[in-house]
Amino acid sequence: MSTAPEQSHAVSMVGVSKKWGAVSAFTDVTFDVPQGEVVALLGPSGAGKSTLLRCVNHLETISAGRIYVHGDLIGYRLEKEALYELTDADISRQRQKIGMVFQHFNLFKHMTALQNVMSGPVHVLKRSKAEAAELALDLLDKVGLKAKAGAYPSELSGGQQQRVAIARALAMRPRVLLLDEPTSALDPELAQEVVETIRRLAEEGQTMLIATHDMSLARDVADRVIFMEGGGLAEDAPSKDFFTAPKSERARQFLARLLQAH
Amino acid sequence: MTAASVPSIPDLPIIHRRRWGSWVLGALALFVVASIVIASVRSRILDLSVVGEYIFSPMIVMGAFNALVLGTLALVIASIIGFVVALMRVSGNPILVAISATYVYLFRGTPMLIQLVFWFNAVPIMFPNIYLALPFMDAPLINAPTTAVVTPFLAALAGLSLAEGAYMGEIIRGGILAVDKGQRAAATALGMTQLKVLSQVIIPQAGRIIIPAAGNQYIMLLKSSSLASAIGYLELLRVATDIYSSNFRVVELLAVAAFWYLVMTAFATAIQTVLEKVFPQR
Ligand SMILES: Nc1ncnc2c1ncn2[C@@H]1O[C@H](COP(=O)(O)OP(=O)(O)OP(=O)(O)O)[C@@H](O)[C@H]1O
Ligand SMILES: [Mg+2]
Repeated sequence: MSTAPEQSHAVSMVGVSKKWGAVSAFTDVTFDVPQGEVVALLGPSGAGKSTLLRCVNHLETISAGRIYVHGDLIGYRLEKEALYELTDADISRQRQKIGMVFQHFNLFKHMTALQNVMSGPVHVLKRSKAEAAELALDLLDKVGLKAKAGAYPSELSGGQQQRVAIARALAMRPRVLLLDEPTSALDPELAQEVVETIRRLAEEGQTMLIATHDMSLARDVADRVIFMEGGGLAEDAPSKDFFTAPKSERARQFLARLLQAH
Repeated sequence: MTAASVPSIPDLPIIHRRRWGSWVLGALALFVVASIVIASVRSRILDLSVVGEYIFSPMIVMGAFNALVLGTLALVIASIIGFVVALMRVSGNPILVAISATYVYLFRGTPMLIQLVFWFNAVPIMFPNIYLALPFMDAPLINAPTTAVVTPFLAALAGLSLAEGAYMGEIIRGGILAVDKGQRAAATALGMTQLKVLSQVIIPQAGRIIIPAAGNQYIMLLKSSSLASAIGYLELLRVATDIYSSNFRVVELLAVAAFWYLVMTAFATAIQTVLEKVFPQR
């Protein structure tokens, strides 16, 4: 039996595999994310970055291995050498501390920006509306959108929607924030607003796992790069080193292709 | 380019092209309609004084009221049935999916009239007695011949609700599927249980999406309440039929009935309009 991970690690992936029938997304992925670290997940399309993030909060079930967030085994209960899947209520409780931001924002379209940000505290944490509204306004202020509190998602630009989505995730005070291509649905200018917001979170010490194709996000915000390719983890390096002197041949090729594209 | 470099243009009026074609078409259509109206008036198919005599008569108004009650109750029950059926259909549980799909196929696939007659005539033959008892009670709750329990109203309500439930099931399922998966994932990721996702994210949006279709179904049900005339329920058409079978003013009484159906349709349309204003789609 493998030992339980250190509590100080925000996320621990231990030999995690994910497959659908014969289709494998990734196999035997192992890495730890210390508290406060910002990790960029890089890799070509189809490498399994989104799938990996969705496994961390059990939106996808894993096929093998274990995932721990702050020492909690995600999605399962270990009992007599077997892992039993937790109930909907228990998994929901684990997810409260894991925030997620999506490529297409996924704001609730029938709610205003303020109501979106309030939705977690009110409906999940059962906070009072007044208390939740106060927190939500603070968070909207933090992402520079206090003036848009009453706007519906359809009345906001993509960059604004993404910043509201970040505020919505932050309202749960997550210990880990998962971001799946937070800037790739946005024009470069709007993407920059979002990158700035994420950079500020990084400075505050928010632990983040960011799947991205956006090199400015990976190079300027992330402390570390995890490069996925060919169904597994191909390289794991501080982001400075990854961009200046990638160790693996695959990473070199990946970066060369990116440079050509730009 | 600056304004100075543009040669100054005198402020000329703009003349739009005339749509002569649409004028000609409109005039032609108006002529056809006018000819039909004039022909009907000349043929004296309708005696307006007879229409006026019956339009607010207590029997007719009662019939219209019964039709409204039947259609409205049927919509409410059908919506509840439809909601359950839709949830079963999207549950992913193969048994629930099969049961709900079969229900929709049977009840959408047979004429409403057959279903009404079935509930009124066939059920009492199949089950001559209804016996319903609760534990720890001496006397049974219901113990009566089925014909006494299944009144024309109940048979009509059951028939319309169950048939309409199949349609509403499909409409509500469409509304649920129209709420994108991404929002479901976002709500789940926030830590909402599946029940919360349903009540806070899916139902509010699916509800808005189905308002126009549900309004349509309401209008259809108000008119379909006339099917209950076949099993002797005193709704609008039945009352009108009873009256004209004794005085032979067929056209006038059908016109009276039609008038009240139009009033009901206007009522349903108004409700739909208000609901769409109060719950706009975003
Ligand atoms: N529900 C599913 N069923 C079967 N295969 C799937 C499913 N979801 C994803 N896959 C496959 O898993 C692999 C990893 O997909 P994933 O979306 O995680 O890649 P990604 O690295 O996020 O790519 P991108 O950069 O394009 O977003 C792909 O080959 C994909 O086709
Ligand atoms: Mg992806």
